Amino acid sequence: MHDATTDAGAREAQGSQPVAVSVLDVSMVYDGVHAVRDASFDLPRGRFLTILGPSGSGKTTLLRLIAGFQKPTKGDILINGTSVNAVPPHKRSIGMVFQRLALFPHMTAAENVAFPLKMRRTDARKIPERVDRYLDLVKLGGFGQRRIHELSGGQQQRVAIARALVFEPDLLLLDEPLAALDRKLREEMQLEFRRIQRELGVTTINVTHDQREALVVSDEIIVMDHGVIQQKAEPSRTYRSPRNAFVASFIGVTNFIAGDARSLAGDTVVVGVGESEWTGVIGDKACPLNVGAPVRGAIRAEQIRIARDGRALEGAGSRHAGIVSDAIFEGERVVYEVRLPDLGDTLMRVFDHGPHDTIAVGDEVYLGWNPDDVLVFDDEAGHP
Amino acid sequence: MQSARTAYPVTWRIMDALEAFAATVWPANWTRAVPYLMLAPAVLLVGLLVLGLIQIGDTSLRTLDTSTFLLSEEYTLANYQRAFTEPLFAAVAARSLLGALIVTAITLVFAFPYAYVMVRTSSPALRKFLLIALFLPFFIGQVVRAYGWLIILGNQGMVNEALGLVGVEPMRLLYNYPAVLFGLVQYMLPFAVLMVAPALTAIPEELEAAAGSLGADWLRTFFHVVLPLARPGLTGAGLVVVTLSLTDFAMPAILGGGSQDFIANAIYDQFFRTSDQGLGATLALMLVAVGSLLVGLIFTLFGAGTLAMGRARE
Ligand SMILES: Nc1ncnc2c1ncn2[C@@H]1O[C@H](COP(=O)(O)OP(=O)(O)OP(=O)(O)O)[C@@H](O)[C@H]1O
Ligand SMILES: [Mg+2]
Repeated sequence: MHDATTDAGAREAQGSQPVAVSVLDVSMVYDGVHAVRDASFDLPRGRFLTILGPSGSGKTTLLRLIAGFQKPTKGDILINGTSVNAVPPHKRSIGMVFQRLALFPHMTAAENVAFPLKMRRTDARKIPERVDRYLDLVKLGGFGQRRIHELSGGQQQRVAIARALVFEPDLLLLDEPLAALDRKLREEMQLEFRRIQRELGVTTINVTHDQREALVVSDEIIVMDHGVIQQKAEPSRTYRSPRNAFVASFIGVTNFIAGDARSLAGDTVVVGVGESEWTGVIGDKACPLNVGAPVRGAIRAEQIRIARDGRALEGAGSRHAGIVSDAIFEGERVVYEVRLPDLGDTLMRVFDHGPHDTIAVGDEVYLGWNPDDVLVFDDEAGHP
Repeated sequence: MQSARTAYPVTWRIMDALEAFAATVWPANWTRAVPYLMLAPAVLLVGLLVLGLIQIGDTSLRTLDTSTFLLSEEYTLANYQRAFTEPLFAAVAARSLLGALIVTAITLVFAFPYAYVMVRTSSPALRKFLLIALFLPFFIGQVVRAYGWLIILGNQGMVNEALGLVGVEPMRLLYNYPAVLFGLVQYMLPFAVLMVAPALTAIPEELEAAAGSLGADWLRTFFHVVLPLARPGLTGAGLVVVTLSLTDFAMPAILGGGSQDFIANAIYDQFFRTSDQGLGATLALMLVAVGSLLVGLIFTLFGAGTLAMGRARE
């Protein structure tokens, strides 16, 4: 479960590229409220970083600080190695796509895209060719003469992207630009983002609260909560080795089992719930657990197997009997909610991709999983 | 009890009663006439105006008999000839037109930053202060305000006193063209701000941030983004200010002291001083014509702005 190989690979990739953006111990306080607290991270050139977090977690604030619309209360932001605290937005080389796009309604699509070139005093003879090239890049060739209100939501989206990219900025910032689109278009645009970003190699910071989008498009993910960076890692690592219970709960469908740590042996933790016990492994190696401390075990829904007959789960390290309390049909799979009486009536969500017509609400079933898949976190750190 | 009262507020009960009352006095099968009936007062008013205009048109075609002080029976174009040839009227017309344009330009230039700060400031206290400062003059009528300026700008007024303190000879600040224009700008400013502010509110702040991140400093953001998007508001404000200034009476009369007459003052003189109703009517019609031409010109040059009818289409 600890993918040391990808980890080392990522470090190597980072080492070969100079740092494009450094955020050093940045805090932003609004009338006593910390919107961002002591945020620090480096982003190597050419990488696609996604900031993921629930509403109000400080994502937009962090982006606005990098763009220069606001000054941090504390800390420093470096772009290409130089502090930009005293540099106004129009002198930073940053393209931004806003949540509500902020296209200029009194201009055509082509004029919108030409705007940053004109503002940067690009040679007027070169502007039309550049504008056409970037409209082609976002597959809007021939739409240049349309007014903004004559374009569909997805097309407006593309104009906004072309406008943010056309002056070849050092950094591209995306503030949930896909949030307003329907799911199909959103997923299309996510892949489009990735294509364009790879084609141009522009360093990108994307903000979203869509975990799927974060996993699909990013080289790296920062998970934020309450203004604090909870974890920064590449997508597979964020998914497989969440650093705390919050990250575990925010990404994927995660079940939590409560209890008190009873004994520790190496990485393995035995946890008691009333009369019974369950076993897991320490989730955050940097944060040792104490015997007797309240803990929570996190296990992904897809790591649990379900069967009517306990013998079918012989191989599983942990096996518990339960009662199906709900069955939710989601098309490609059925999600069962199963109550486990011997684990303090914990409700577990389980996926079933097989033929779905065998289990019904009220049935007695067995759940089985590998104890190594249960990540145990201190209950005090990182609440969801 | 409590919840019942909040779920069905008193205002609804009052409306129920009114509806029941309306249903008894106005049978349901008459209701199709209601919209037209509600239009009736406005139609009546405009109709009276048109009748008045016809009457004025009729009067403008008769000359004054100076021996009997009665209007002539037969129609003649003599009044129009006088209006077009006598240098006094040409001077008055030129003064009013030029004044209206200057006042409009200055007022818009002053109103824009005022409205911008009022709309964009992050301080509620400042916004409140600007709003109150804007509305206070409304409660003080135009004539009272003009008299106020007489006191402040007079030869013994506050301004000259203050100038005297720093050793400047008293100056004649009143009864000249700039004084009238000054009074008019001061009078028009609130109207213009109130018409420009909604247009600025309608511009998302994010557009300005976007312009910044795309490389525009505040000046270029202003000229390329804010100004074009505020144009409907500016046009609407300009139309109101230009017509109100062109037809103003009090400011030229009081701050101009008789030497700076606008068209309205000239009309007043014909009706109430020389009692030449024919010439007065002619001048009035010409004011209507000039005003309409000016508004028409602004319409064709800049569109109707916020005064455009129907659904706005950008
Ligand atoms: N201008 C402001 N004044 C005061 N508080 C603010 C301001 N802007 C943001 N905040 C607060 O800072 C916190 C973080 O806000 P932010 O907009 O960064 O959240 P977010 O992560 O972008 O949320 P969302 O996903 O809903 O867009 C919130 O608690 C918010 O109320
Ligand atoms: Mg946000």
